[in-house]
Amino acid sequence: MLESPWLIAALWIGLALLASMISIRVGISVALIEIIVGAVAGNAIPWVGSLFSTQAKLETMPWINFLASFGSILLTFLAGAEIEPDVLRKHWKPSLAIGFVSFLAPFLGTMAAAYYLLHWSAQASMIAGVALSTTSVAVVYAVMLETGLNKRDIGKLILASCFVTDLGTVLALGVMFANYNWWLVLFLGVSAVIMPFAPRLTQWFLRRYEGQVSEPEIKLLLLMLFVLGGLAAAANSEAVLPAYILGLVVAGVLRHHKETVYHIRVAVFALLTPFYFLKAGALISGSAIAQSALVILLLLLVKVAAKFVGVYPTAKLFKMDNRVSMYTTLLMSTGLTFGTISAMFGLNRNLIDSSQYSTLVVVVIASAVVPTLIAQKWFQPQHELSEENADGA
Amino acid sequence: MVHKKILHGLDGSKGSFSALEEAIDLAKRCGAELHTVSVEEVPHYPGTVGEVIEAKQAANGKYGKAMHQARDMAQQADVELHCHVFTGHEVKTIVEFVKEKGFDLLVIGFMGHSALYERVMGSTCQSLVRLAPCSVLVVR
Repeated sequence: MLESPWLIAALWIGLALLASMISIRVGISVALIEIIVGAVAGNAIPWVGSLFSTQAKLETMPWINFLASFGSILLTFLAGAEIEPDVLRKHWKPSLAIGFVSFLAPFLGTMAAAYYLLHWSAQASMIAGVALSTTSVAVVYAVMLETGLNKRDIGKLILASCFVTDLGTVLALGVMFANYNWWLVLFLGVSAVIMPFAPRLTQWFLRRYEGQVSEPEIKLLLLMLFVLGGLAAAANSEAVLPAYILGLVVAGVLRHHKETVYHIRVAVFALLTPFYFLKAGALISGSAIAQSALVILLLLLVKVAAKFVGVYPTAKLFKMDNRVSMYTTLLMSTGLTFGTISAMFGLNRNLIDSSQYSTLVVVVIASAVVPTLIAQKWFQPQHELSEENADGA
Repeated sequence: MVHKKILHGLDGSKGSFSALEEAIDLAKRCGAELHTVSVEEVPHYPGTVGEVIEAKQAANGKYGKAMHQARDMAQQADVELHCHVFTGHEVKTIVEFVKEKGFDLLVIGFMGHSALYERVMGSTCQSLVRLAPCSVLVVR
């Protein structure tokens, strides 16, 4: 058993490095590979230890848990900050409608399946509903880029809808399990003060301090995130809720300060998200997955079917043809980061057990892969190859 | 055989520049149109939009430099070169581009991998030879 924090850190960063190398080699995102590497290490280390009659495991210390949580908060903030407010404004009606049903239908569907078919507790079923209601904006964005749809109205509409779905997810996570006490009142009150002023304050700060080596503008954003996250946690809500909303609120400002976003991203990807995704993987139990293969299949089917019930008719309502409606529905059935965040929230608060967590994370990963493959293989809207201009070309 | 439209796959590697020399020579001798295609691959199933943006920016920089070098080589040989960049899966995108624009020859560089890698993953080179709807010249 490792005791030195440096050696524990070395092990975790070593795994993160391995994940980065594999990711570059195979062309699959580092987030997904980190989850897989974490899962392999988390299950293999105890097994190897048992061969030598010693108890070994991938150590998670309080500081690793903190870095992982910090990573999830900044991931959520960046996810909110990646929206283009103009696109959301332009397509607000269809994106609100599609995004809302894309959250609600799978939330209700998977929650009901977990409760009535799998006999999970009410709270565990709610976590299942939240974790499987998500849409992966990042997966959708990558597909859009490959197909060139990111430049077209339909692509922008789908992306805007995905943001609305994720907003539904963080709202549900933040509201459903909160304690309705004075902390919640304080959290809401402080949020009501900070959120409207955040864009102007951030803008002023960026104008005044951007480019300084001590990065005061990033510290300002972190200060707001910590204050709001701390109050949310005190109310037993979830820190990712204010993080996502703060990201949405300052998205318009940060669009014009790409250097600052780049600096945040460097810190997040190099130091924080590896701990988050590796931990998300390390908590997966291999034996639990083997035992719940049918449950995984059932929840995946229910998630995708519920997205069809909600998104497909709504897309048709907004005059999308069959192919585009199918494509939209399948892309909105994807999930990854927010799904794992929701599952880990449930596990950390003992709302779900290790086996349920493992099941949910595997369903989330499967939902990133399976609907994307089907959408790209059979339902990609007809288009010409979308040519790009490389810098300097 | 006289070729009229030649496509060269440019990925910035040493092998692809060797292939470009051959393609320029062929284009000059046949009086053929010469194009290069570069395909930026973004990570599949990303966890964040930022991951995709970073990968795309890195690829843009890499292919920007490669295209400058390719244009210089073509200019020295007095051959006009048309450069194209796409985002997507390398093999799928190149095969579709060949079909769409009706190229009659695809010139690519050989990229050596270990035997194990090729057995497990296959190679871009192998896949293009198998799937391209025109003649393929692999330059070592």
